[in-house]
Amino acid sequence: MTSKTTKAKEKAKPFLLPTYCKGCGRCIDACAKGCISAGTKINPSTGLVPVNLDLANCTGCGLCVVACPEPYGLRITEGGCEGVQGDFVIEDPQKLFGPRPTTAPKPEPVADQLIGLPDCEPLVTKGTYASAIGALLAGCRHVYGYPITPSTEGAELMAKYLPLLDGVFFQAVSEVATVNFMYGTGGAGLPCMTFTSSPGFSLMLEGISYMVGSEVPGVFVNVMRGGPGLGNIAPEQADIKVMCRGLGHGNTFCIVLAPSTPQEMLDLTIKSFELSFKYRNPVLIAADGYLGQMTGMVRLPKHMRKPGIPEWAVYGDRNHRGNLICSIYLNETDLEKHNRHLNQKYENIRKSEQLADLYQCEDAEVILVASNTPSRMAKGAVAALRSQWVKAGLFRPITLWPFPVDYLKPLLKKTKHIVVVEASAGQLEDEMRLAFSKADIRDYPPIHHVRHMGGMLPQQSEIVEKVLALDLRRTQ
Amino acid sequence: MIGAFYGKFERHAHGAGIKGQSTHYCSGCGHGLAHKYLAEAISELGIQDRTVAVSPVGCSVFLYYYLDVGNTQAAHGRAPAVGLGHKLANPESIVVTYQGDGDLASIGLAEIVSSAQAGIPMSVIFINNAIYGMTGGQMAPTTLMGMKTSTSPHGRARMTGQPMKMAELMALLDGAIYVERVALFNAKERLRAKNAVKKALQLQVENKGFAFVEVLAECPTHLKMSPSENSKWVQQNMLPIFPLGVKKDVQPAEAFQPFTPSFDKDKVVGIVTEGLTGKAPTFCRKFPDHLAPKDVALKLAGAGGDGAQTAALLITRAGINEGFDATHIPSYGPESRGGTSYADVHIADGEVLSPASPSPHVLVAFNQPSLEKFGPQVQPGGTIIYDSSVVAGRPAFEGKKVYGVPFSQIAKDLGKLVVKNIVALGALQAVTEILPKESFLTAVRMELKHKAALIPLNEKAFELGQQAVK
Repeated sequence: MTSKTTKAKEKAKPFLLPTYCKGCGRCIDACAKGCISAGTKINPSTGLVPVNLDLANCTGCGLCVVACPEPYGLRITEGGCEGVQGDFVIEDPQKLFGPRPTTAPKPEPVADQLIGLPDCEPLVTKGTYASAIGALLAGCRHVYGYPITPSTEGAELMAKYLPLLDGVFFQAVSEVATVNFMYGTGGAGLPCMTFTSSPGFSLMLEGISYMVGSEVPGVFVNVMRGGPGLGNIAPEQADIKVMCRGLGHGNTFCIVLAPSTPQEMLDLTIKSFELSFKYRNPVLIAADGYLGQMTGMVRLPKHMRKPGIPEWAVYGDRNHRGNLICSIYLNETDLEKHNRHLNQKYENIRKSEQLADLYQCEDAEVILVASNTPSRMAKGAVAALRSQWVKAGLFRPITLWPFPVDYLKPLLKKTKHIVVVEASAGQLEDEMRLAFSKADIRDYPPIHHVRHMGGMLPQQSEIVEKVLALDLRRTQ
Repeated sequence: MIGAFYGKFERHAHGAGIKGQSTHYCSGCGHGLAHKYLAEAISELGIQDRTVAVSPVGCSVFLYYYLDVGNTQAAHGRAPAVGLGHKLANPESIVVTYQGDGDLASIGLAEIVSSAQAGIPMSVIFINNAIYGMTGGQMAPTTLMGMKTSTSPHGRARMTGQPMKMAELMALLDGAIYVERVALFNAKERLRAKNAVKKALQLQVENKGFAFVEVLAECPTHLKMSPSENSKWVQQNMLPIFPLGVKKDVQPAEAFQPFTPSFDKDKVVGIVTEGLTGKAPTFCRKFPDHLAPKDVALKLAGAGGDGAQTAALLITRAGINEGFDATHIPSYGPESRGGTSYADVHIADGEVLSPASPSPHVLVAFNQPSLEKFGPQVQPGGTIIYDSSVVAGRPAFEGKKVYGVPFSQIAKDLGKLVVKNIVALGALQAVTEILPKESFLTAVRMELKHKAALIPLNEKAFELGQQAVK
């Protein structure tokens, strides 16, 4: 007897716990020796009919194992299968094989690094470019997008700069694909972003809902244009509703930041990345068509960031192997628990992240409420009104969600009128009114508005006219 | 061999009872085998730590219950986009996307086709069982002609088209380097399937390219057959439509190079400032309050291609160089060339409040319609400068200073019509003295820093514009 034949004869034979056999019978055809036959008895623990094994003629070829679709079905066990062959005694697999927990380590976060920047002269650049530069300084090296006016310049600049930094600009097949690239890269724990504009943003909503549900960070710069439908490419603010209230299906909220200058396009983009990772949630920048195109002075920050990798990421390395990014919770109580967790996060954001800019509000009897480019016309109007001895002030929400009602509330006592100035049919006003309601503010002055739609912005002169027509002798 | 499966499926009903080591698949389902070949290949190639598996929507949505690798669950049809998002985030990771026929060949067609064409290394396992499983037996893009499903109760008919042959379609795409269709219905085909899955991963490990394995699989539950009947059905009915075999196996035109993004601060600053890090010289003694006390509003208007936006940008840059705040808002017609093109510019001592110029202090008009449209909006006592080469007659605007300067003619005489906007800037400077000449020329030089040869021509154009006023 040669050692070779001995080896062949000792080839391990298959082993099956009937509990894990669903009786599909693929193994029956696979066995040339006819060792396996269809079962006849229902297994009481599964309600299925497992196959029968008679291994007298088994050569240990293993084809039955290749045929078995169950991970813990037919197996050739290391060290043979003494004592369990034959009678198919159902034994606790833990007892038989011992626990085989995952060998993936407990993930540890890799920390971000802040890197000091040299002093630079201010840039003269447009809003979308400023936002792109902000993203680069925030550590973003992955930008996905689909061209759409008036946001495309941001993507174009990224397409120009990122290859120079060995980063990625990838023009996706659609906005739908774009948001899913972001789900992937954000899920891998890296900062990523897109530039889009209203109709494109609408297409991303399902993906945003997934990102919120899976707690994946990512930054969306939505340069709002005229709607509904194809609308036009002129500036509007008519996506406030969808960004604050309508982010795809389910219980979804994202911080919405509204810049009003090219400088803020840069500053708030940097802030978006911080908030996005702090809360593991997408963050949206609501810009308007004017702001995207507007050129102005932009100062660079003192630091740039080299991102680390958070502990929850699915990065594709040993450290993070045990992680999962998903938004599916099949069990109802699990999903409710997840939603309660999200609600707690939204509540923390509402308490901690409200931001507003107050301009001459201290003694204001008329408060203009405006964001984005219309807030600049409103600011001009405040200056013009003050020169006519009207005590006007500008309350500019920087976070549209959460609406910075905590900053507005203390001003309401002195205020005789609120005038909401916006390039939409009242979407900003709706956010303010809802914030009043939720903050249980019942006593507030009359709310007026100056609104334009269709791509026109409220002008300083009409805001001034509106305010001058108000009854300023009114007492609260 | 247990492969890269979890020892216990904690995510399957919290790992309770039998579910802790049993899949959720029906008896005779093809998914289990495909999972197993994938788990074994990952284990055999030693890539368990590097692997990211993307679960789809469909019966295999719970792939992440089983594979002990990094897991992501994608929206319906979007697995290839999610997968590339992971691959581009970490090019060293091994990304496997796993999709069924509804997910890949129906709702996700755009993603799979464009991702394959991109040619970035990724391994796609596509399960074709000719029917929707999770939603309960509806017609799939791969449903055979005449086949009855719950949404083709009379049999798949002409109006719904022919079954999608994805492997053949993928093989046509340049980015795909390996495409094979395999099946599970007998021992020989199963071994081929196992090898194909492994090869698809191996090619990614070698940074080669995009690999696609279509697996003809059984769905006895929804095809209403026994598992063995279903296996025979696949062999007899699917094979003629979906022939097995290697559809493509080529070397990539260019290997994929994993990359690591740079965070070198000097490089980053150099790029974002485009080299303009130094302080520009200043020439201005005071704010041009002879035009407006705090905030001068300008409008430049013409047709696309007149250079109004560039001129506006140069004024803005010059203003900022001088330490003022300045803004520029463009407004284009529907076409980027040939349509209307207006620019609103502000220079302010302090902060530009409202950046629009509905009633500017200064108007620069490059054509007749712009002059007619915006001339009346100029503030009383304001200044209008227009291109007298293209505007007929001598337009008058009461209470406003009006200057006709032949921008186009001067530029034409210089041999470059495109510098007419610089001629206009020269005229603007001479008429308004909004900023010193050198402020403008510095801005022009900064703008043309990468096209230095054009600087003398532009300087000449500026001077001729100035002289034309005097």
